[in-house]
Amino acid sequence: MDRKIVILTVAIAAAVVLASVATALYLDRASGDDSVGYVNMAPSLMEGWLAGNQSDAYIAWEPYVSSSVVSGTGRVIMWSNEIMPNHPCCVVAVSEDFLAREDGQDLAARFLKAHIEANRWMAEAMADEEGANYSLLLEMSAAFTLRSPEVVEEALGHVEYGYEMGEDFLAALKQFTDMYVETNIISNETLSDLGFGNVSEFVEDFVDESLLEVADDVEPSGTILNPADEDAIRLGYLSGDIHQLAQFVAQNRTVGGGEKSLFEVYGLNVDPIPPYLNGGVLMDGFSLGDIDVGYLGAPPALQKHANLGVSVKIIAQANSEGSGIVVHADSDIHTLEDLVGRTIATPGETTIQHLLLKIALSREGIPFVKA
Amino acid sequence: MTACIEVRGLSKVFVKGKREVVALDSLDFEVADAEFVCLLGPSGCGKTTVLRVVAGLEPATKGDVMVHGKRVVSAGPERGMVFQEFALFPWRTVRKNIEFGLEIRGVPEAERHAISSKLVDLVGLEGFEDSHPDELSGGMRQRVGIARALANEPTVLLMDEPFGSLDAQTRNLMQKELLRIWSATRKTVLFVTHSVDEAVFLADRIMVMTARPGRIRETIPVSLPRPRDRTSPEFIAVRGKVLAELDEEFEKAREKELSPD
Amino acid sequence: MPRGRAMMVRVRDSVTANWMRLVLGLISVVAFIATWAVVSDYLADTDSDKSEYLPGPGAVAEAFVKSFLEPVPGFDDIRMGDMVASSLIRVFWGFLLALAVAVPLGLAMGYYRAAEAMGRPLVEIFRPIPPLAWVPVFMMVFRSFWGPVSIVFVGAFFPILLNVVFGVRSVDPRLIDAARTLGARRGAIFTKVVIPTIIPYLMTGIKVGLGVGWMCVVAAEMMPIQGGIGVGYYVWASAFSYSMYDYTYATMLVIGLLGVLTTGVAEVLEKRVSRWMGMR
Repeated sequence: MDRKIVILTVAIAAAVVLASVATALYLDRASGDDSVGYVNMAPSLMEGWLAGNQSDAYIAWEPYVSSSVVSGTGRVIMWSNEIMPNHPCCVVAVSEDFLAREDGQDLAARFLKAHIEANRWMAEAMADEEGANYSLLLEMSAAFTLRSPEVVEEALGHVEYGYEMGEDFLAALKQFTDMYVETNIISNETLSDLGFGNVSEFVEDFVDESLLEVADDVEPSGTILNPADEDAIRLGYLSGDIHQLAQFVAQNRTVGGGEKSLFEVYGLNVDPIPPYLNGGVLMDGFSLGDIDVGYLGAPPALQKHANLGVSVKIIAQANSEGSGIVVHADSDIHTLEDLVGRTIATPGETTIQHLLLKIALSREGIPFVKA
Repeated sequence: MTACIEVRGLSKVFVKGKREVVALDSLDFEVADAEFVCLLGPSGCGKTTVLRVVAGLEPATKGDVMVHGKRVVSAGPERGMVFQEFALFPWRTVRKNIEFGLEIRGVPEAERHAISSKLVDLVGLEGFEDSHPDELSGGMRQRVGIARALANEPTVLLMDEPFGSLDAQTRNLMQKELLRIWSATRKTVLFVTHSVDEAVFLADRIMVMTARPGRIRETIPVSLPRPRDRTSPEFIAVRGKVLAELDEEFEKAREKELSPD
Repeated sequence: MPRGRAMMVRVRDSVTANWMRLVLGLISVVAFIATWAVVSDYLADTDSDKSEYLPGPGAVAEAFVKSFLEPVPGFDDIRMGDMVASSLIRVFWGFLLALAVAVPLGLAMGYYRAAEAMGRPLVEIFRPIPPLAWVPVFMMVFRSFWGPVSIVFVGAFFPILLNVVFGVRSVDPRLIDAARTLGARRGAIFTKVVIPTIIPYLMTGIKVGLGVGWMCVVAAEMMPIQGGIGVGYYVWASAFSYSMYDYTYATMLVIGLLGVLTTGVAEVLEKRVSRWMGMR
């Protein structure tokens, strides 16, 4: 019996040694000297994580960038528009099932009109910082994002709101899709299965400019055209994402002129449903049939439309730019190269923030790996 | 000459919560070297308790217990014990069971092996050295128990109704085997049982115990030559004498059970 | 019934039973796969929006094989083998730590009334808390690699502890008596009676603990704050990040197989040890 105990002990010792070696190798790979490692995290947690020095940096959408800066925890080393000027960020998407409804096209066009008017109102308000509308805008933003007015004010400065979709917009979407194809997140087979010969065809089919063309001519409506609860436009958006302020503005009664919100002015019954964590989950919401219109980032829309066949169309832009890379205020990181060997938190592998970071790092030839 | 086992004024009181149970009340007896003595009594009379105190598994409340003049303080290999339920180590083979005490004493392997082999032969288990207890019959298991106790060359062999778990035929066989082994080793044996037949068959002397609280009621010598014939008139006579003593105690024990205590 | 025929019936029944079991099992598995294929084909044909969520068995099998040979979608240089290794390493450490703490603690609690009195209330408070509930705490403190390890630890700890305590309590007092009359003192009683007695119980605890630990690591890896790779992580990522559901199912298959493997190994060990111990 003693011999068996010896064998057992030796076996255990060998297993421990083997595991230690494997562990060391594994951990070494994760924090390689020549790469930047990423972890996934909800943006609301990123500031705390950074403050506690548990990650070295994070990239997120506003207001989560300005939040750190204003509180003094963080410092921005790069804005997203420095990586790709005028890059499209959030878009407005509508489900094809909704468009197929009898009143679908009309309601969608009206929705866009409200979206356009909200954008115009926001642009005017921001142009006049003394004006009453400006304070209202800050108030609304603060209420929507649950941040202080100072943070929101700072954040608004970095976001470009707009609704137009132009050649640059399409080109950027094509670039994103190309990147996905390269990294095998979308396969060429998938595109051809869907009936597209190449990325261009795919993107051009995905974007539907027709509604935008007619939207501006839409007249206000005296009555609500879809008053019934089951006919309401179910609106999906991302939690606390200041990029998507337009839809929030469009719900506000003061903006609409005292009694009605912009949506109501144009005759719409809009039912905002509880917010989603990120664009990917929002696309799942489309897939489940839970929403009719959604505000989300372009990349997850592209990806899930391709891989899961979620049938939506992009009908307008919501914003461009408005994200940043934040490091600890006291840290010694100042450039992208300084991030080598460190860990950065991103909101998810298919968010535009993640994608932009990847683009930026690959320009410097720095590998971007899962930490 | 010092007796092998000497018990003087042994009392044992068990405390169960608030109640005190007097198991033994001032017991006195002696066992001489190489003697085979049976402790006989009704159930609950405390005979097992006597054995456990002599073994050192329980402390005496009052009185002296000596083995070869030395006080018994705790259990030890010089007072080997054989149990009714065998108490073999199920994860050890027959050989390893027998060698248990030797291992504790640090006896080197070769010597252990030699000793256990001899004992295996003595108790008649050749061929089963590497079997586990669950592969053996009741009688065989008890042979292991005996061999295991003998391995330590004990001064006395304490046996607590060792054949109580066996069927009648095996029991008779084992009684004969025990006598054979005993005559080969000439140990002092203190044997507890409630079977009159068994006691008369095996013992040089039979000590009949009273019902609780236990005392030695009567000591009856059995000077019949071995091997004893259960059907012989002398056997039957001794048996009758013992039974007479015992029946009275059985009555008393039963009355005690029925009346509130 | 004449003896010979009775024996033949017995033999025939056992052979039939084994073959029957195999055949029946095979039938149900084949039926399941066939149903799956039919359903997923139906969804694809009707062009349902849900079709991509249920790829057919062929696609899953293909993804399964490819995942080991090529980098998995979303990564340049990581294959399923790397995911598996990462998860297994975590399980190993968590389990080892649990063993190292629970066995001595269990022995102490089984042996000493005082230890049991002190330990029992804490055990009863913490045991019902599902290991995953510790994620917010442990993930923050221990971060990406050791976070899941600590969840595995919590998961494996209690089964091992409770089985060891039970084992110590189950030591046959007659064996201790016997050992004492053979000259054993406390130390020898511990090593030669108590330890052998508890080993089968320990093996049961190990088997259960390993199973729980495996489930814990998969779940902990799915937590969004999780860093590092692993099979649990990839089940999540392949679905929510990359929308490659055939890889999701393939990963689930890998997880299932690994689970069977780990508990299977534990079970084999348990049986061998039991036989070696001559118990049961």
